[in-house]
Amino acid sequence: MAEIRLAKLAHSYGNGTNALKPLDMTWRDGGTYALLGPSGCGKSTMLNIISGLLKPSEGRVLFDGQDVTDKDTGARNIAQVFQVPVIYRSMTVGENLAFPLVCRRVPTPRIKARVEAIAERLGLSRHLNSRAVALTADQKQLISLGRGLVREDVSAVLLDEPLTVIDPQMKFELRKILKDINREFRLTMVLVTHDQNEALTFADTVVVMNHGEVIQAGTPQELFERPATTHVGTFIGSPAMNFLPAVREGDRVLVPGAGLSRTAPADLPTTDLTLAFRPEHAVAGGPLAGTVTRIWFEGADQVLALSVGDASLRIRAVAGAETVGAIVRFDVPQDCLRLYHQGRLVA
Amino acid sequence: MKTLYLALKYLAIALWSAFVVFPFLWALTTSFKSANGVTGGATWIPWVQYEPSLQGWQSLFGGVGGINVVKPFYNSLVVTLSASVISITLGTLAAYALSRFTFRFLWMRNSDITFFFISQRIMPPIVLAIPFFLMLRSLGLLDSLPGLILVYVALLMPIAVWVMVDFFNGVPRGLDEMAWMDGCNPIITFWRVILPNALPGLVVAGMFCIIFGWNDFFFAFTLTFTETQLLPVAIVSLNSSVTPWWSLSAAALVSIAPLVVLAFVVERFLSKGGLAGAVR
Repeated sequence: MAEIRLAKLAHSYGNGTNALKPLDMTWRDGGTYALLGPSGCGKSTMLNIISGLLKPSEGRVLFDGQDVTDKDTGARNIAQVFQVPVIYRSMTVGENLAFPLVCRRVPTPRIKARVEAIAERLGLSRHLNSRAVALTADQKQLISLGRGLVREDVSAVLLDEPLTVIDPQMKFELRKILKDINREFRLTMVLVTHDQNEALTFADTVVVMNHGEVIQAGTPQELFERPATTHVGTFIGSPAMNFLPAVREGDRVLVPGAGLSRTAPADLPTTDLTLAFRPEHAVAGGPLAGTVTRIWFEGADQVLALSVGDASLRIRAVAGAETVGAIVRFDVPQDCLRLYHQGRLVA
Repeated sequence: MKTLYLALKYLAIALWSAFVVFPFLWALTTSFKSANGVTGGATWIPWVQYEPSLQGWQSLFGGVGGINVVKPFYNSLVVTLSASVISITLGTLAAYALSRFTFRFLWMRNSDITFFFISQRIMPPIVLAIPFFLMLRSLGLLDSLPGLILVYVALLMPIAVWVMVDFFNGVPRGLDEMAWMDGCNPIITFWRVILPNALPGLVVAGMFCIIFGWNDFFFAFTLTFTETQLLPVAIVSLNSSVTPWWSLSAAALVSIAPLVVLAFVVERFLSKGGLAGAVR
């Protein structure tokens, strides 16, 4: 278990594309982190740099203050679970779990004890002597994870979209196991995903990335309440945050024709302004009114798409009798209205 | 409809089997015939249509008008197996390197180097006859088993490289990375993780090497004189102005016997699912 520090880390591939723009970041020992972003945003590159499969073009990687940038993968003592289950097909489940310890020349009795303990924890005990290929995809992912856990001193467990190929009903179960393992073993765990639900439910800290850049790192709550950019607001939350073009009039910023407004900070520029709020933050009744253009039912809730003046927005409301074409009245509390200038959070 | 389909299927299989088995049957009956038995049209039933004779088989073991094929058979076995084992070993290592690491030699990249190996088998063998002859002569290895093994390694290794590169490319790179992460060095990664996954490839490459090595006549003929004789050359030397069909048939059966055994072994391996799911 280790604290991982990325110091001025950057990477570009041979063809000159900036896969990772310079960044500084510290992941504390025993924390759970999620790297969230669309495909090609640099999150897997970052993971491969940490595990040592890729050497960064710039910057250093430090484990517990020790520079490991030039160390190879084996010496870093990292465990990684890949998107597609990677198992040693010629070996049994038990041999798979034992392999990292065999490679590290751990005494046989110790290996046996560790393998049995981890298999027990992951629910693989009765499969120990089965061929690993015969197991289901989620069990194979558990084997991958188990190969990391058998090493008591593993620095961190990196999870590169490990749930992508797992059946939906097993996903929840596997996520729970990961979370429990983190609590029990106090491991530093980093999950790479493009699924916001996965990221928000798994990690203490979510790192949102786009175009090789870290846009925002914070708790799920922070990302939801105060997205640092319009990109984060769109990427996190379902439905996405409402972003409405706004103008400044005196000491207020308002959305023309919609009646939505808030006070403007003193040094606010006058152009490129956006007012935003979460569909969840709209409350029923109030001074604002919109025409329902579409309704999605989501169990106890429903999402209403409204046309308010020239703007279209969505609000989440308790399922009721609204119909398309009806006028709905609502309000947005002032403390829930966010202001963006050139796509970045101002207030 | 289903019955008709089955009937047609078995008919097709029966026809094909007959087509394949017939030459063996022909060789088998002929090998037990005498000079009288092979004249006057095809005959199949011993004692009824022709009088069986062991003359053909006896001629393979030093009988009248024959030669002893035991020594050439043993030579062929030694040369083929040695050359195949060496080719597979070197070829597999080369193929793994070509599949996993990036090489540059002048303008050539990995794919060019792989093609270079294969290209050795594209040119007609006769092009290589004189260089091989001169090389073996300068090494003092003409007409010797080590000399033949050396030449056969050069001939068989491209096949091994070609087959194995393809198999290694099919083994996910993630497996190597996983093994590194588990603390393996590259040699253990290759030996314990990648090679077991490429086992079907080894079987296929081995089969090709043994077949090509065992059947080669050209180099066995051009690079030997009297001391070292391989089976294909020995069989040809059985021929004379009056073709001894009985001896040649017996010799043909002896020469294909190892390959038939090999085919059965490989078939069992394949039917046990050795090839199924070679990669995930």
